[in-house]
Amino acid sequence: MNFKEIAKRGETGPLTEAKDFLMKRVSANVLELEKKYQVTWDGKTLINLDDEMSDRCWQAGRELLLSSGIFSMNSKRIIELSAEEIDEALRFAPAELPMGQGKDAVRAYHRQVEDARGPFIFSGPFNADTSEEHFVRLNEAFAQERLIDSLLFPGYLKMLDGQMIRPTSALASRAAMLYGQWSREAVRRAGRPGMPITAHAVMALNEIACTNEQWGLRSTDPRAMVLISELQVDDVTMTRLAYYLAYGCPIYMAFTPLVGGYGGGPAGTAIVAVASFIAAVLLGGEVVHVGPQHIKFKQQTNHHSLFLASLVNQAVARNSSIIATTSHTTSGRPGSEQYAREFSALALTAVTSGSNVTGPRPAEPLGFNNVSPLMARLFAEVAHAAAGMKREQAAEIVSRLYQTYKDKLDLEQAPKGQAFEELYDLQTLRPTSEHQALYDRLKEELIGMGVPL
Amino acid sequence: MSVETSDEDLTLHESEDATRKEEVRLREGEREKEAIFAAMREAIENYDSDAAAGAAKQAVDSGIDLLEAVEKGFAGPIRQLGEAFDRMEIFLPQLMLGSDAMKAGMDVLEEAINAGGGRIQSKGTVVIGTVEGDIHDIGKTVVAALLQANGYAVHDLGVEVPASRFIEAAESRKADIIAMSALLSTTMLYQRDVIELLGNKALRDRYYTLVGGAPVTQAWADEIGAGGYARGAYEAVQLLDGKKESWSK
Repeated sequence: MNFKEIAKRGETGPLTEAKDFLMKRVSANVLELEKKYQVTWDGKTLINLDDEMSDRCWQAGRELLLSSGIFSMNSKRIIELSAEEIDEALRFAPAELPMGQGKDAVRAYHRQVEDARGPFIFSGPFNADTSEEHFVRLNEAFAQERLIDSLLFPGYLKMLDGQMIRPTSALASRAAMLYGQWSREAVRRAGRPGMPITAHAVMALNEIACTNEQWGLRSTDPRAMVLISELQVDDVTMTRLAYYLAYGCPIYMAFTPLVGGYGGGPAGTAIVAVASFIAAVLLGGEVVHVGPQHIKFKQQTNHHSLFLASLVNQAVARNSSIIATTSHTTSGRPGSEQYAREFSALALTAVTSGSNVTGPRPAEPLGFNNVSPLMARLFAEVAHAAAGMKREQAAEIVSRLYQTYKDKLDLEQAPKGQAFEELYDLQTLRPTSEHQALYDRLKEELIGMGVPL
Repeated sequence: MSVETSDEDLTLHESEDATRKEEVRLREGEREKEAIFAAMREAIENYDSDAAAGAAKQAVDSGIDLLEAVEKGFAGPIRQLGEAFDRMEIFLPQLMLGSDAMKAGMDVLEEAINAGGGRIQSKGTVVIGTVEGDIHDIGKTVVAALLQANGYAVHDLGVEVPASRFIEAAESRKADIIAMSALLSTTMLYQRDVIELLGNKALRDRYYTLVGGAPVTQAWADEIGAGGYARGAYEAVQLLDGKKESWSK
């Protein structure tokens, strides 16, 4: 089934209200499917070890998509899909995806549960608010980290020349062009001119203005789209998708299932997440990013989200060839110990469950440039160390890490951290001695816990 | 053996009989009232809008004190619903269904109370929406459901709501509070536009403005002159409950 047919159904499918789609289709179907397929959470497991349940979760998710469809938010029509169409899309989902250019070209790939191959690392500012002043140097510092395979979301330019930017304005078009130009400049300065830049300028349709083969983002750079929770898509995403598919860009499709939302608890939301993985593939997603949100904690390293990430990724790894990646957002912020403990717990969970990794980023960055390339290095090292690790071993370490931060999840109480310009020497583009010492200390601590760094 | 009964005795017996009958009638009345309150509570606990409206109608037809019916019928379970949501024992669909059930029942009670010249004292009237250019719905929906469950009259304007529509809705609904959600750093700007437009129309002091959403901070709220900032749904309820003097007309 091609994109044209999906777009057409978005104009011709059954008409309904969003609330009815979410309540009568998604929520009602999830409740039934949870019982039918016995997808459950025992209230304490952090990493799922039950392969049969992950297979049942896959079946439940596939059935949810079949019974619910995808809601086109602007036309208010449901894109309904047949079992044959779903299975065909899954059969043709790429297991490997090339991106980038020249000697910097890399391939993302589908991973298995407990796969010995290292994960693909998407890392960068991850759309934290980034100042005009530090945009290039900050991204250069990420790009010079050799373990990062693709520079991720080079920053959110919400101000230019002291002026806040309205999404659909001419200033937003200018910001999108500078985003493309400065991101390219950053990877060139880091000596990786063909490094793939996974981009999402988040400025409505103006985002397309970042595209230029000479000075901006190229056809070999993945472009990110985000589905709306749950199983919804809007015209802006579909329009960008139409353009980027035609332009030949790798498509990085993200979705953010909400624990406590329309899918209910962690088990029900895992079913929604599987359905969303498949929906993302049907819409043209070639790398699919799961970023579980949480109605209460608003970040991704809490016990519900850890379990959900493990169950969903195992379901996808065992039953499809989808290239999956898991987003890592934390309560603690860069410059704090808690930040590293949180992203390490989720990286161990995701990687042993068959996922690649995206992140890390504080769920609530404070001010501009609240990011650390050095912590991205540690994140990548932990993710690689988890390759080939048994889930049982990972679960023990994750449990110990979780104990260190479980009472500090509240975003208001979590460590505030520091901005890039406080953590790095901007002349040498090296971490300050204090930040380097924090890295060294955390690495020792993780080794002591059994992470083979 | 004969028993002689004086006139006084007869009067006493009649009086005792009347008292007993009155007691029975009162007991039956109490039982009926309790049964109606129980049906109201059960309707909310079962998230059943039709049952809630039916129980409310029963309350109206029986002639019981409707303000007491609100307190003893709907208030308890709806409070428990909010607390269960906070503990994540129930989730968004149940919160919305329970909140909708209470609204269905309250609409029936309110109509009858208004017809009798009385007035249900809602805590306050809120118009809420996600700002222009922003299609994110869930955060705003949670806040709306929790405010409604906590006794506020809530008018949800949906997503991508232009500044002028916030104001028109607030005016037509005689609102106390305008609540604006934004999930993107860039769409936050439109929260400022609503407040600026209120100022231009000399309506700034008429409404309490509340802002929230992932990128929104207290500093932003201060910068744009919002009345308040809430990090999440619970905080929104707490803030409005605690700041009644700021928005109550």
